Amino acid sequence: MDLEVFNDPEIVKKLSETIKNKESSRINRTVKIMHICGTHENSIVRFGLRDLLPENIKVIAGPGCPVCVTSSRDIDAIIDLALSENVRITTFGDMLKVPGTKLSFQKAHSLGADIQMVYSIFDAIEQTRSSKKPNIFFACGFETTAAPTASALIDLDIPDNFFIYSVHKYTPKGVYALLKSGKINMDGLILPGHAATISGLEVYERFVKDFGIPCVSAGFEAADVLLAILLILKQINSGTPKVENGYKRVINYEGNKKAQEALNEVFFLDSAIWRGLGEINETGYELNRNYSRFDAKKNFGIKYPDNFIEHQKGCRCGEVILGNITPLECHLYAKRCTPEDPIGPCMVSDEGTCKNWYDGGGIE
Amino acid sequence: MSYITLDHGSGGKLTLELIENVFKAESGLDSAVLGDIAFTTDSHSVKPLFFKGGDIGKLAVSGTVNDLLCVGAKPLYLSSAFIIEAGFEMEKLKKIVKSMKEEARKSGVEIVCGDTKVVENGKCDGVYINTSGIGKIIRPIEGKNIKDGDGIIVTGTIGDHGFAILNEREQLNLETDLKSDVSSLTDLILPLIESDVDIKFMRDPTRGGLAMCLNELCYRRDFGFEIFEEKIPVREDVRVIAEILGIEPYYAANEGKMVIVMDKKDEERALDILKSNELGRSAVTIGRVSSKNPQLVILNTKFGSKRVLRMPTTDKMPRIC
Repeated sequence: MDLEVFNDPEIVKKLSETIKNKESSRINRTVKIMHICGTHENSIVRFGLRDLLPENIKVIAGPGCPVCVTSSRDIDAIIDLALSENVRITTFGDMLKVPGTKLSFQKAHSLGADIQMVYSIFDAIEQTRSSKKPNIFFACGFETTAAPTASALIDLDIPDNFFIYSVHKYTPKGVYALLKSGKINMDGLILPGHAATISGLEVYERFVKDFGIPCVSAGFEAADVLLAILLILKQINSGTPKVENGYKRVINYEGNKKAQEALNEVFFLDSAIWRGLGEINETGYELNRNYSRFDAKKNFGIKYPDNFIEHQKGCRCGEVILGNITPLECHLYAKRCTPEDPIGPCMVSDEGTCKNWYDGGGIE
Repeated sequence: MSYITLDHGSGGKLTLELIENVFKAESGLDSAVLGDIAFTTDSHSVKPLFFKGGDIGKLAVSGTVNDLLCVGAKPLYLSSAFIIEAGFEMEKLKKIVKSMKEEARKSGVEIVCGDTKVVENGKCDGVYINTSGIGKIIRPIEGKNIKDGDGIIVTGTIGDHGFAILNEREQLNLETDLKSDVSSLTDLILPLIESDVDIKFMRDPTRGGLAMCLNELCYRRDFGFEIFEEKIPVREDVRVIAEILGIEPYYAANEGKMVIVMDKKDEERALDILKSNELGRSAVTIGRVSSKNPQLVILNTKFGSKRVLRMPTTDKMPRIC
């Protein structure tokens, strides 16, 4: 399929005019639309989409960056293990600069810890084959990366010295809990294009039922995102919130059944700490008993820190992740906190809101 | 404790800070202007050494030649210093030397002195080459008198070199005839220098690409730039690779292009001169100097929105030149 259609300036202009002239003008208040996918924020910034929306339509980045919600407690614990035992830690490049309480993986590496970047779990398994010591894959990400982790453990011949430390998280329940607790609020939700490919859309029905929020899935091209915004506004205007698929060329309502089966086979959902947001029930993917031989949390003497700091003094990443402030409202942003020397997790990954804004935000 | 990271060599923000804070030098022009003489130096450590469209030898000559042209000089003499790893194949070295010779002839310079060092096996990636160059100033072009409305010209498609190298290195195996644009620009730029068009500034947008080039130019100045996505020439295959890798073409290196800030009144004549050469066929004005947003490069997207094109911070593609 030629994706250029979805970036056709004429189509994009028509969508933005329809949003302005037909839908937003009928709403006499500010509408807050949240997305929960770092790649959506990347598209919004890169295409300058906020600039194409009317004043009263605000698109806000929610908790959609997996490395940003990975707790310092887990980072500290695995770094401590890497510094004290003869093990190798592998993880995604995004994770390396994320600060824990005292150290990031990158800084621990410069102190002698054996920490290697990998592109995928498959890469991590391959690297293990040529290594003599225990290799622990620090497995981070939402459904999108949890599913490959699960399928690799089911399908592949895995060396005895390969282990997993799972910090995988399940998006829909996390966002639901945050809504329920009142920590986040919104008038409409753009569903994550990648994660919903796995989870499907049915899990979002209760967002509509319990909170009356329009939920629309979206792709990542300019027209995709604007289409989702338009569909949400139409639902608001007609007073009929529902789950709607704005990304039909990729997402099925049922999701990817095979991936879901793999996830259920390998993992169960336990409570997990989301960085700065606290503990949320049934949102952390932990390995099932049949797969416990891979579980680094069970096979190594992991020492969890008594005190860990999620956000350094002055860092407002917690509020950025919840969509309650924009990066510009944080005093550290772009001054003491930059991609070269990040203080908060949102300034690290290309999916982090602060990093996206820093690299190419709108005009300040 | 702070350390040198690969990002310090990216040509981006950290390189700029290193030059200012550690070397205590100003990052200004591509060559020093010393009366009638232009003088410059450049080291090359590309990986792979041989790539579609050229090799490290061609790169080493054209890089220095183009830096001399930037300040309005006619390139005349080069030095070449080799750091070679023990075990490096002689045939490869001969091939590199041959392409240096060809590129020097093409750009009208003589390689007049040199040096050779051999280091232990495994201590460098095959070969590194430093070239220094001397040129005769025809008229100094030093970035003075840049004002509102001046045009920004690029002499051709952007990102070809960076993405050609990445395509090979990452083994994306895309079927494409994309090759590096590495070339000395004497034939393209010298006629412009020798004409009377009012050139305000020139730079070859190498590491950090167009985004770095423009950001560096307006760094701590009282002007910025407004550029237009639809005007910026990008090859279709570059667009595709850029999309796959998630790196925008504005940040990719070029080795055979020039960015020129030109007084508006002379823009058309300058474009005529550039287009009369094969290397400048797709030369085009991509935007203007603007004092509205000092120190910022504003990209007007094809959708009509505006965003800031920042100075690159971390190196998305190390060791490309």
